[in-house]
Amino acid sequence: MNRIEIRELTKAYGSTRAVDHLTFDVLPGRVTGFLGPNGAGKSTTMRLLLGLDRPTSGTATIDGRCFADLREPLHHVGALLDAQAAHGGRTARDHLLGLAVSNRLPRRRVEEVLERTGIAAVGGRRVKTFSLGMRQRLGIAAALLGDPGVLLLDEPTNGLDPEGIIWIRELMRDLAAQGRTVLVSSHLMAETSLMADHLVVLGQGRLLADMSMKDFIDAHSTARVRVRTADPARLGAALGREGLELVSGADGCWTVDGASAEHIGGLAAREGIPVLQLVDERASLEQAYLGLTASHAQFTAAAP
Amino acid sequence: MSVALPTVPVLHSEWIKIRSLRGTLWALIAVFAATVGIQTLTAAAIGDAEAGSMGADPLLAAFYGLTFGQIAALAFGASAFAAEFHHGALRNTLAAVPDRTRFYLSKISMIAVLSLLVGEVAGFVTFVAGQQFMGPYAIELGAEGTVRAIAGCGVYLMLMALLAAGLTAMLRNSAAALAILIPCILILPFVVGEAAGGLVDYMPDQAGQMVMRTHGQGDLGPWTGLGVMALWSAAALVGGWFAIRRRDV
Repeated sequence: MNRIEIRELTKAYGSTRAVDHLTFDVLPGRVTGFLGPNGAGKSTTMRLLLGLDRPTSGTATIDGRCFADLREPLHHVGALLDAQAAHGGRTARDHLLGLAVSNRLPRRRVEEVLERTGIAAVGGRRVKTFSLGMRQRLGIAAALLGDPGVLLLDEPTNGLDPEGIIWIRELMRDLAAQGRTVLVSSHLMAETSLMADHLVVLGQGRLLADMSMKDFIDAHSTARVRVRTADPARLGAALGREGLELVSGADGCWTVDGASAEHIGGLAAREGIPVLQLVDERASLEQAYLGLTASHAQFTAAAP
Repeated sequence: MSVALPTVPVLHSEWIKIRSLRGTLWALIAVFAATVGIQTLTAAAIGDAEAGSMGADPLLAAFYGLTFGQIAALAFGASAFAAEFHHGALRNTLAAVPDRTRFYLSKISMIAVLSLLVGEVAGFVTFVAGQQFMGPYAIELGAEGTVRAIAGCGVYLMLMALLAAGLTAMLRNSAAALAILIPCILILPFVVGEAAGGLVDYMPDQAGQMVMRTHGQGDLGPWTGLGVMALWSAAALVGGWFAIRRRDV
């Protein structure tokens, strides 16, 4: 149910390939972060999935069906593509009503999603008076209209204030916990790391990674240990014999790259070196991501 | 293969989209206001001055206000469709109604129905109100060709709105569509005039106005003239349909 399948999806504009033989699945019950720098092909992939653009080759389906074949798609798929796309001359309520009516959704759904997204008080105002944050909320309201099992959100945190970002993070996690399929694109690492369970990473239209957040960080960052010791000289020497290096960090801490706390702890105990603090430093998604794209850049530079 | 005909929900949605945009709604109101208003004011000012003071053909002169009302009809058709090209609003629409043919036919049908309704009422009121001021030159409602002219006036306004809607769908821009249509309709017939022989009669507005003439003109009778205009509008609508079906949005 609600499984998104992308198979060998390619979209070429002239000689450039915005999306290049992309294959991955997006599964229900978890938030999938769709990462990549601007221009990596995230938005194009979403547009192809919604049948707004025609693929050069390959397929993008939801439950094995093309989006364009769905008769009343709001019941299955909710999408936020561009918060600016609501016509500024309409009120938020009329904008949502026009969409709801086309899919035979009852009028009360409009009020419900206005409430849920926190813009019920301004539902009667014209969209052109809205801030970017309010437009994002309106776009999310439109995506939620049909209570869909699949949500596609392109940069939903754009323009949201910190409170709004926390709100949308909770919303995404709730929706996924209810068993829905949630695909959220972003170029903001910190945001995505707090929101997503699974990652699909694109670079120049190609798939760079499709794995859980934890595996991604483990695979694309080097291990590092933070240690505080009473005798840095002896510890440094002991590490040096194993080919490791003790590097001075801030506020009296030292760091060791390429080692685990388990390893350093054992070593210090054998050598009788007093250790005051010892922690594995978990790399951030951002570091892992930069590690991945750096190696990818080298790869593409080396290719003929 | 089933044809993606308009459905009631999608038509209802298109009605909400039209009525919720102030500019589009005002353009529709202006179709009535301009046609009736200009006709009445002009007739009141010069209608009973002398025979033919409002134009050589008294029946066509009974719809003189149409010269202005048709511009409002063009604006209505263009703006009703152009709202979809505003900041990619079409993406929202197609995310709710992915069948592009169904969407297109629904929107076009709603534009047609609204402009025809307003056009028919405008045609009737224009004729009746205008003739009040014509004194001895007034035409009776039952006179030859009047019913045909009144009915034709509504169809004429609808075809104008559809011409603009189709061209806007093709060009994805109402300003471009109006920049082509308004000069072609307001100015070209005067500039080219008789030099082009009878060809001017085949321009959409000139052909369509045959239905409001007492006997048509040149090769075109009242209904064949309206038919020629319908072909123009149909061509624009087919062009718009291809553009909407084919293009990435």
